[in-house]
Amino acid sequence: MPQAFITPTSQYIRYNTKVARSRATSEPLWIRWLLITIALVFLSLFLFVPLAAVFTEGLRKGFATYISAIVEPDALSAIKLTLIAAAIAVPLNLVFGLAAAWAIAKFEFKGKSILITLIDLPFAVSPVIAGLIYVLIFGLQGWFGEWLSNHDLKVVFAIPGIVLATIFVTFPFIARELIPLMQAQGKEEEEAGLVLGASGWQIFWRITIPNIKWGLLYGVILTNARAMGEFGAVSVVSGHIRGLTNTMPLHVEILYNEYNYAAAFAVASLLAFLALITLVLKSYVEWQTAKNALRNEVHKLIIRRESI
Amino acid sequence: MSIEIRNIQKNFNSFSALNNVSLDVPSGELVALLGPSGCGKTTLLRIIAGLETADNGSIHFHGNDTIHSNVRDRQVGFVFQHYALFRHMTVFENVAFGLRVRPRKTRPSENEIQRRVHELLELVQLDWLADRYPPQLSGGQRQRIALARALAVEPKVLLLDEPFGALDAKVRKDLRRWLRRLHDELHITSVFVTHDQEEALEVADRIVVMNHGKVEQMGSPQEVYDKPASPFVYQFLGNVNLFHSRVNEGKTHIGDIEVEIESFKETQNSPALAYVRPHDIDIQKELNGQKPAFSAIVSYIHSLGPLVRLELQRDDQFEIVEAEMTREKFLQLELSVGSKVYVHPRNVRVFLN
Repeated sequence: MPQAFITPTSQYIRYNTKVARSRATSEPLWIRWLLITIALVFLSLFLFVPLAAVFTEGLRKGFATYISAIVEPDALSAIKLTLIAAAIAVPLNLVFGLAAAWAIAKFEFKGKSILITLIDLPFAVSPVIAGLIYVLIFGLQGWFGEWLSNHDLKVVFAIPGIVLATIFVTFPFIARELIPLMQAQGKEEEEAGLVLGASGWQIFWRITIPNIKWGLLYGVILTNARAMGEFGAVSVVSGHIRGLTNTMPLHVEILYNEYNYAAAFAVASLLAFLALITLVLKSYVEWQTAKNALRNEVHKLIIRRESI
Repeated sequence: MSIEIRNIQKNFNSFSALNNVSLDVPSGELVALLGPSGCGKTTLLRIIAGLETADNGSIHFHGNDTIHSNVRDRQVGFVFQHYALFRHMTVFENVAFGLRVRPRKTRPSENEIQRRVHELLELVQLDWLADRYPPQLSGGQRQRIALARALAVEPKVLLLDEPFGALDAKVRKDLRRWLRRLHDELHITSVFVTHDQEEALEVADRIVVMNHGKVEQMGSPQEVYDKPASPFVYQFLGNVNLFHSRVNEGKTHIGDIEVEIESFKETQNSPALAYVRPHDIDIQKELNGQKPAFSAIVSYIHSLGPLVRLELQRDDQFEIVEAEMTREKFLQLELSVGSKVYVHPRNVRVFLN
């Protein structure tokens, strides 16, 4: 029974066991450890230590001070404003990003490359400039300043300006996440749906969205993180009015400038905590995507084994 | 339902994909669009489906112009080369899709959908895979599911774009026989695109040979194989030996020998291309007085399987002639590399240059 030596099962199992380290493709032990040490030292200096510092500084004067710094009215109003800005910017950019990615990935039209460049513009422009643009357009001396003040409308140094600046800086995240994904998937499935008699709306909800849902969620998480953390653009349009136009990052800066370190770090720790939650969500989404991909791979192997 | 294609013109920027194409697909037939890649066959198929619009010309389904009917109202089934199965749906849901998206008035009941889908899955012999997802299937299984999905909407016309192009050789052979049987059962007007002449010759009722956006020839497999209308068709449908020659008053010269060509009696000294299929190259060891033949040396022998392929170096020219014979004949002739042989071409096909 010579076939017994080359059962396909053994080949399949090898994928599930640990990959043996091959001497031929790895560096000597001391080089490996050196590189790992450098990476770890770098990570702790630039990431772990600051993160730990935020929490220890925030809690330095005790837990009571920490809580009171957060429940203080100005802090609460800053938290509320941050959440409002994110709550408006994220859904809007979800729609914009999805529409832009859909158009770019699935259709051919003139000016497509210009559209792609425009989507990247917020990444290329300094956030401070982004804020200034809105001051120049909607500010008192700006293009629409007179008209706005005549109608008793406030954009700059008010919530609409903050929301606008937030939308601007977070604009590319979802589109950038979706374009490569949708391009890779092509439009054959949509065409199949069309030939089978589905309407545009049915194709969108039943075929396109399920195919991109993890990428979309990933883009939303990134957008949300940036929306809550944005400092530069928001700082220019906000006017730093306490309890009215301060977002969390701006509130932290004000407290810090007033030498109120404990309170500043307490609010900052809240932002850091939000960032950590974002990271956990992001890892979960990545893990789900990888799991789907792995499942497909394993099934391919099983099929191969069945067909041998 | 018959399909009439009239004067279809399609350009992609400056590239002319289809150039005044007209053809008829009779009701209930299985027609192959055959041609090399880039010849416009897939574009034509997509225009028939309505996935692409022609710059000029019209497509009629059973005499009705389709120009104003939307893709989803055309009642066509389309099978994509790379299956295009909905990857997030089970096999069952894939097949049921076309029924579920119907407006409420015409949508079958849930029981009816269950019944129809299982019926189709049995038709393609994959009922046991109903709960699997497309990535869990092999290529051949996926293509059969794609076919079941296309048939679920009871199309009047079935269009298949290189349906077996992405499959390996053995599965491809099984599936094309299976498609032929399925077509004989259902008798649905079908058009399939392929670049594989063997596939077209084996499966189709009629073959449409295309090249550079034009129809070169239409006819039954027998017709296009035996009576190719152009050098392109002749070359595309199998291996050939090409001889540059001249035709004069019904005679053509290949090397030292003269071959009679009845149909060119009137032609006066015109340059021509003479084609001979490798299996029409007759080889003898001794010069036989009755048949005109030229001499050559055997330069290469490829003897795998029932047919033996020989490469012959002509004595009078540097050209190589390819020949094919049965193993029996080969053993009988006792040939080896370097043997001197006499070559007599049969069934010479001549096209004036």
